[in-house]
Amino acid sequence: MRKGLVTISLLSLLGFAACGGNKDPFDIPAGGAGGGGGPVANLTATVKGKIAFEGTAPTPKKLSTSSDPNCKNPNLVSEEVVVSDGGLENVIVYVSGGDLAGKSFPAATELKTLDQQGCHYIPHALTLQVGQPLKILNSDETAHNVHAWAMVNMPFNESQSSKGVETIKKFDKEEVMFPVRCDVHNWMNAFVGVFNHPLHTVSGKGGAFEMKLPAGTYEVTAIHETLGKQTGTVTVADNGSADLNFTFKPK
Amino acid sequence: MSRNVRVAGSLHEEGENVGLHRFALFTACSTAFLIFVGGLVTSNRAGLSVPDWPTSYGWNMFTFPYSKWVGGIFYEHGHRLVASFVGFLTVILASWTWLKDTRRWIRVLSLVALISVITQGILGGLTVKYLLPTPISMTHALLAQTFFCMTIAMAYFTSPSWKRGLPNIQDTHVGISLPKLSLLTTGAVYLQLLLGAWMRHTESGLAIPDFPLAFGRLIPEFTNYHVTIHFAHRMGAILVAGMIAWTFVRMYVWHQHDNLLFRPALILVILVFAQLALGAFTIWTEKSPVITSVHVATGALILGTSFLLTLRAYSMVAREAKWQ
Repeated sequence: MRKGLVTISLLSLLGFAACGGNKDPFDIPAGGAGGGGGPVANLTATVKGKIAFEGTAPTPKKLSTSSDPNCKNPNLVSEEVVVSDGGLENVIVYVSGGDLAGKSFPAATELKTLDQQGCHYIPHALTLQVGQPLKILNSDETAHNVHAWAMVNMPFNESQSSKGVETIKKFDKEEVMFPVRCDVHNWMNAFVGVFNHPLHTVSGKGGAFEMKLPAGTYEVTAIHETLGKQTGTVTVADNGSADLNFTFKPK
Repeated sequence: MSRNVRVAGSLHEEGENVGLHRFALFTACSTAFLIFVGGLVTSNRAGLSVPDWPTSYGWNMFTFPYSKWVGGIFYEHGHRLVASFVGFLTVILASWTWLKDTRRWIRVLSLVALISVITQGILGGLTVKYLLPTPISMTHALLAQTFFCMTIAMAYFTSPSWKRGLPNIQDTHVGISLPKLSLLTTGAVYLQLLLGAWMRHTESGLAIPDFPLAFGRLIPEFTNYHVTIHFAHRMGAILVAGMIAWTFVRMYVWHQHDNLLFRPALILVILVFAQLALGAFTIWTEKSPVITSVHVATGALILGTSFLLTLRAYSMVAREAKWQ
């Protein structure tokens, strides 16, 4: 009992300072975006697989958009857990360790887009390389605010008051992963993973994913917004292909 | 059997200003409504739905078109307008007090209320600018409750009954004095509101998802600080309910015929029962915004009632001592 009280007191004090510092513990020894001293690695190998979902897929929860008549999306459902053909979608898959030392990667310049369409983010999960531009676009006839709940990178909250407004964002630190939310429409959220290297992807239909990487042995992690994360190891040769599968269970 | 001694006659020479009293009362009621609206903002997770401040999506706050009040904007922008209204009322209240009330200390109180409401507005802006930092959000929540007590004090001290002189009572009960007991109860309620604000602003409201048990047990495992804060709030509820029960029993036994004391004590009991039920329903409905906001507002009403009871207890018992 006494120990419990002491715990309550200490944790209560700590709570004030607990609004930050949720940094993912892993630290990738890669060269980082744009190179880190070693030769630029060629992404000649392929790792592909499936994120299986074990058990009964949850029925998608219908979302009410009635608080904003401009949303015009009566069939919107929650994307918290999306299962198709027995596979889990929107899982961020990335290299979290292995033969990365001495390798460097070119800076990513390809523009990625996070669209707000029908009061809904498309895509629901996306990955970026540090410094890679992200276009955030409002395609709706209503106002959105784009609120990135980043912990490692600089968080931001910007308004996009009308259709066609867009903003370009870049993130300068690795962070796995943070939500982007709209506080006007509190059902809207997306998840973003930012990496020092280009070895990352997101599972799509049927939980399928495919990732290009240099030959070597790697630790690969799959992380989902509500179902946690799993790690596996894969070895792949130049111009070769290897399979790696994960299985997630409902909470 | 009455143990009370009533003293007739005025102890104050100030003239009655019913208009000022009614205006202070209206400000207090508007503040209670503002706290409810503030609860709606947090409960609907709309605190950052208007990313700019003091403008709203680039518009002047007072000319922002109603057609744009959609989703969370309705709550956040509505909160800003109701807050501006209460700020405006406070400016009038302070000005009126300085013009018409000659008591220096009540003038100072009105000025402190005005400074508080301005500070509260700035804190509200800072929560927007700095993306809801927990310490600022909590301070904003607690200053709201403190300001509510100030408006109650203003209404109380400008009331004709207070100016005419309240009846004096004999606090013959052995043990803690009635004013101290009321003060302790008010302190416990304030502490509980602090825990509630902490819980709300750290997203710990559903950290323990079941009620009345906690993860199927009487005492949960304190696996993270969310659980700890949530459980502390539950324990706080027991403490507050106990303090209010003690206060009520004291009033029922010794001061049943002193309506100025007994009525607020009775109201406290009713409110605390409602509040416990609302707390339970907040969990069972997974934080339904309306229920959660009514829970927040009822918390403010409990504090306000307990504070009023404390003021009355101090006025009535203290004067008895002076009179003797």
